Amino acid sequence: MRAVLRTLLPAAALVVIARPAFSEPVKLVKPEQYRARVVAAKKGRVVLVNFWATWCDPCREEMPALVSAAKGFTSKDLAVALVSTDSLKKTPDVQKFLASRKVPFVCWQVKSTDPQRFIDAVDKSWNGAVPYTLVYDRKGELVMRLAGPQTEKSFGEAVRKALAP
Amino acid sequence: MKKIRALASLVSLSSLIVLFVAPLAVRAADLKIGAPAPDFTLPAASDGKAIALKDLLAKNKAVAVVFIATKCPVSNAYNTRMAALGKEYAAKGVFLVGINSNKTEPAAEVKEHAEKHGFTFPVVKDEGNKVADAYGAAKTPEVFVLDPKGILVYHGRIDENQDDARNVRSPDLRNAFEAILAGKPVPAAETKAFGCTIKRV
Repeated sequence: MRAVLRTLLPAAALVVIARPAFSEPVKLVKPEQYRARVVAAKKGRVVLVNFWATWCDPCREEMPALVSAAKGFTSKDLAVALVSTDSLKKTPDVQKFLASRKVPFVCWQVKSTDPQRFIDAVDKSWNGAVPYTLVYDRKGELVMRLAGPQTEKSFGEAVRKALAP
Repeated sequence: MKKIRALASLVSLSSLIVLFVAPLAVRAADLKIGAPAPDFTLPAASDGKAIALKDLLAKNKAVAVVFIATKCPVSNAYNTRMAALGKEYAAKGVFLVGINSNKTEPAAEVKEHAEKHGFTFPVVKDEGNKVADAYGAAKTPEVFVLDPKGILVYHGRIDENQDDARNVRSPDLRNAFEAILAGKPVPAAETKAFGCTIKRV
């Protein structure tokens, strides 16, 4: 029995440690919390924030490219955060989509009675169209705006530029 | 068989109407409040009849050009509100015209969608998204309100609350209509529309 436990326990521990991030529940973020919670919390790394929605075809289509691009960087260099602009009624759909595609990123969902307040809090020059991606450098400064759908290459290049000293 | 013949005549009628977009007074991305909006003539999805913006402007105190979609959940969240606004303000001289510029949504689908949701305003089909390009429209729903001279007086969203029509705090489009009817400047002439990206060719 002890021998069996000795074999099984480390394996069980590994399963817990390797629990994929895509099973994490979606978190809510208010406009005034965006900078602190989504960006500043990851300071010291380049932060790529991808704004998307389940109803947005190009957003869903570019997600695998983002997942692949992120694999080219260590977690010491890059943190990726998703922000879903779906209605709060659609949280289960957001969760389901991320789980089905095994998307390993933290996902926030906008909690605001007025979408314009959130759009302006994120980036005043943004017209609100998704997909939209912002890249912040290690100091938390916004260094790049990527409007529209991206590729694995364009995501990767944006991160590399932000990492360059 | 009758249905097929009716559909065929609708298709042929639609194809007779040549899309017309007037030369732009300004570049699409620069279409700002106070600028003249591009004219257009497009076929109504219902019967293929040509709808000319200049005719609508000549007959009304204002025209709201609303880019809409059949499949976008955000646009669809506003169907009842659009139908009600269209009906209410047509009687007051503010005309609403829907434009579908999505390449993924054919005229027959646009017609069915308009009928299903009780739109009393025409919805025109913008093949090749030429009018969307001319206006710089990016999303559905996205509204451009023009005065009788075709000057842009409001651009943006219908209101801020896609989820709950009963708890709207900022009825921006209605406010614009009321201001125009009262002969006053539109209070918030520019808001940020939110919704699905127009599926362009």
